[in-house]
Amino acid sequence: MASISLSNVHKFYPNGYAAVRDVSLDIKDGEFMILLGPSGCGKSTTLRMIAGLETISKGDLHIGGARMNDIDPADRDVAIVFQNYALYPHMTVIDNLSFGLRLRGVGRAVIDQRVANIADMLGIGELLSRKPAQLSGGQRQRVALGRALVREPKAFLLDEPLSNLDAKLRSAMRTELIKLHRTLGTTIVHVTHDQVEAMTMGERICIMKDGVIVQVGAPMEVYRNPVNTFVAGFLASPPMNLLRSRLSAQSLSLGDTVLALPPALGQAFAAHAEREVIAGMRPEDFHLKADAAASTAPVKVHAVTTEVLGPEVILVATVSGEQGAEIHIRCPRDFRAKPGEIVIFHYDVSQLQLFDPETTYALKRPVQI
Amino acid sequence: MLKKWLLAAALATGLSGPAFAETVNILMEGVPDTEYVKTLLPEFTKETGIEVNLEVVNYAEMHTKLVPQLVAPKGSYSAIVVDFYWVGEFTKAGWLQPLDERIKADNFDTSVYVPKLMDLVGRVDGTTYMLPFYNYAMGLLYRKDLLADEKNKTDFKAKYGFDLDVPKTWDEYLKQVEFFTKDGINGVVNQGLRPDPIAMEWSNYLFANGGEYHDANWKATLNTEAGVKAVEQYATNVNKYGPIGSASFSFDEAFNVMAQGKAYSYITYNFFRAGIDDASKSAVVGKVEIMPVPGTEAGKGGSLNGAWGWAIPKSSPNADAAWKFLKWVESPAIAKKRALQGGSPTRTDVFDDAEVNAKYPYAKALKEMLLTSHNFPVFTYTPQLVEVLGRELSLAVAGEKKPAEALAAIETEMTELAKKDGKLK
Amino acid sequence: MTLAADDRRLNDLPRAEQTAVERRDRMFGWLIASPSLGLLFLVILFPVFWALYTSVHDYTLIAPNFDTFNGIDNYTKALGDPEFRHTLWLTAFFVAAVVLLEFALGFLVALMLNSVERFKAIYYAILLCPLLMNPVIVGLIWRMFLHPSLGIVNYLLSLVGIDPVNWLGSTKVALWTIVMVDIWHQVSFMIVLLLAGLSALPREPYEAARVDGASALRSFWHITVPLMLPVIAVTLLIRLIFAVKTYDLVYIMTRGGPGVATDLVSYFIYRTAFVGLNIGEASAMSAILLAVIMGLTVWLHRYMRSLT
Repeated sequence: MASISLSNVHKFYPNGYAAVRDVSLDIKDGEFMILLGPSGCGKSTTLRMIAGLETISKGDLHIGGARMNDIDPADRDVAIVFQNYALYPHMTVIDNLSFGLRLRGVGRAVIDQRVANIADMLGIGELLSRKPAQLSGGQRQRVALGRALVREPKAFLLDEPLSNLDAKLRSAMRTELIKLHRTLGTTIVHVTHDQVEAMTMGERICIMKDGVIVQVGAPMEVYRNPVNTFVAGFLASPPMNLLRSRLSAQSLSLGDTVLALPPALGQAFAAHAEREVIAGMRPEDFHLKADAAASTAPVKVHAVTTEVLGPEVILVATVSGEQGAEIHIRCPRDFRAKPGEIVIFHYDVSQLQLFDPETTYALKRPVQI
Repeated sequence: MLKKWLLAAALATGLSGPAFAETVNILMEGVPDTEYVKTLLPEFTKETGIEVNLEVVNYAEMHTKLVPQLVAPKGSYSAIVVDFYWVGEFTKAGWLQPLDERIKADNFDTSVYVPKLMDLVGRVDGTTYMLPFYNYAMGLLYRKDLLADEKNKTDFKAKYGFDLDVPKTWDEYLKQVEFFTKDGINGVVNQGLRPDPIAMEWSNYLFANGGEYHDANWKATLNTEAGVKAVEQYATNVNKYGPIGSASFSFDEAFNVMAQGKAYSYITYNFFRAGIDDASKSAVVGKVEIMPVPGTEAGKGGSLNGAWGWAIPKSSPNADAAWKFLKWVESPAIAKKRALQGGSPTRTDVFDDAEVNAKYPYAKALKEMLLTSHNFPVFTYTPQLVEVLGRELSLAVAGEKKPAEALAAIETEMTELAKKDGKLK
Repeated sequence: MTLAADDRRLNDLPRAEQTAVERRDRMFGWLIASPSLGLLFLVILFPVFWALYTSVHDYTLIAPNFDTFNGIDNYTKALGDPEFRHTLWLTAFFVAAVVLLEFALGFLVALMLNSVERFKAIYYAILLCPLLMNPVIVGLIWRMFLHPSLGIVNYLLSLVGIDPVNWLGSTKVALWTIVMVDIWHQVSFMIVLLLAGLSALPREPYEAARVDGASALRSFWHITVPLMLPVIAVTLLIRLIFAVKTYDLVYIMTRGGPGVATDLVSYFIYRTAFVGLNIGEASAMSAILLAVIMGLTVWLHRYMRSLT
């Protein structure tokens, strides 16, 4: 087990393209770290640099305190699980599992023991003599995982391992990976573009965009305090509503709605008064009933459509007087609204986030619990 | 505008003219004599109004192109040229028109042809099917400058006890081959490639030793003293006195060695003689002469005969026009013109012509060569016999068979082929 | 294979169980396949059957007719002919040498080219040059190059002090010379096919192996070779079939000589047919050759399948 530390790491390609720029990240020993971002953000490249499959153009990589830039992937003692599993297609499951150990000259008895353990742990004992082509996607996923586990490496590097699975399997595997991490306690770096995976699995999330790190933090911390509109719009589904609005001394104008700000917030944002801002409002912070304790303010919206999901209903609507932007609102499961119908919601103003429209970064505000 | 119309009219009349004229189509091999004939064709068209269209291809394609046209009731070739290899096959299959009646009607004189050539590519069993076109009898190319060298003369005399001169007999020649293999020069260069080069060249060795392929009844006479000697001498020449690799040489490669001045002698087709004096191909211009392959004694030749004949196939679409062409191309005047360009004549009157002799002093030697030459067996399976000879002789040269064994094998297969063809009872 | 199996299942259904739509689909299938099937019949099946029919008759170019049925006479005569048997063995040796050497060399070059990133197109173009040449031209060029006293090869050898080699005139060297020229001519075929196979291999197993700790050599043995087996099998098979048919090189360079050192079976069959004029026996020989090649193909195919 080991910590992984990236300091000012860059990746340049021969054509001059910088895939990763100045990435510094400390992953603690035994931590479950998520690298999250849209495709092309450099998260996989970063992972592959940790694995040693890509060279590091600039900066340093330490694993367990030792500099690893020039160490062969085989000698970094990390295991990687690929998105499409990368099983050896011509080998049986048992050979796939034991190949790495055999290459390392591990004794027969030890190999058999470890393979048996892993097969047992992952429930693939029945499949040992099959070839990858004879396995289902979920089974392949397990074998790929098993191949990494059986090596007992210092760290696991997972490159979107769940993205080829169907939704149900994916959710099951998420739970399993979390349990596995709890059992083994090994450092895991998990690359994904799926914010649900990021939120549910990671101890910390590192959000990347265009080759640089945007924000690092625990899931709820990132969720509550996105550093910019990108993070705000990326996490959660439906994501935070981002609306152009105008900030006054003690209120915020959204279309023809004026939200009175609680004094604490008003003071916090005082420096930005009388200017255009982007208001960040989570869909779940709109309530059908006013709640004095939570300092709610009424917002009039025009229903556009509803998405009935079962446990809840997502209302797509426009704010009265601000026809341009649609917002999403989480409603109870029995909520219904006809298109064009006017609904009054009560927004929990204490949860309001404001962003600078020029820099897209969040305006300073008191930290919420 | 008017100009354009005039031009179009002129083109139209110009193009339509030949379309109504008769055309004689002939398939020919791309050899010098074909080129010479080509240059003379306008004269024929001027005289007769008949166009001649020569389709010139290489040897390997000829047989495959000819057969379908010969088998068809009406083929596309008015006249053809026939290698002596195919004479047996073509006449046996009945593909050629007898020419005797036409010859008689037009009083065409065939007595001027070298008799051996008439036997080879003229008459078959008393019927005339072809007019001999050009000959490719084989002769001995030798370096006259080496023979004239005084030091060579003295050395040779000291070693062999007789004078170094143009060889009068085969044995004298073999001694010269041995003698001249020195100073980076080979006494002889051979063409040992299967099947035709080796079979044709070796035939000279057989005849030079006084041997023949078969007797009057087609009984094979190869496994004889003369035959064995011929194989032994041939193998010795290739392996001991010849340049490395001559066991796989074809005509052109062997000729190159001779033309580069690396060999004293080379037995080859007489049409290569002209090339020796072509400075673009030869480093020994003026130093080489041709003579009949010497025989067992002075006056007896060992040369192998070879020739092509003009013929009119039964499938000819316009036999009369074809005959007109044959008559013209083999007329004394045209035959002489071809010879003057460097062609290989078949008519004695052309060989005796003063102008020809003045231009080509070796014409006399060529005539002598033809007169003393020997014919290869002509029957349906001539190509197959060449194939068998090629294989067995090549094996003997490679030392994988003894001469007598190889000759016995050839005799067996030759007897079988002759029987199959009805020649041998 | 699986597709064919599925098809069969569909075809095995009794007519009544097929719906009208299925029937129409099948009719349409036959309809659009019929021109190519017809062409296939005309250019492949018909000649093959004609040859088989000819092989049991006394059919010669002198008497080109099917008047005399002679059963298996042509076959027994062919198999009883030591020359034919010699050419068969010689061809077997030649094919083995050519295919194996070209495969080894081709695989090596393909591996090298596969890791090349720049100027790949140029290498491709250079490599394809010999392949685009007519074998007759190749033979003629090499015959010139290999001329023992006037050729460039022996001249170059003489520069480094090697005695002239009797490339085509020695019974011990000639076959290897033909093998060498054939390699020069055809190795690109192997390279191109193997390279196509290599570049289609998935990248991930190699990365997994690198992390698993496999050296380049081990990756090659444990991943490249097993993954390439289907491509290798097809490449070997095609090359093998073409090698059996080698004819032009021998025709141009040695005519089967010296002695019978390079007398390959295709050239022998050609001579039997067009020099010996015996089409019947030549057809029988071709049929024997066809049987041998088909046997080899089936065996190789099965063997390769058993490995994958």
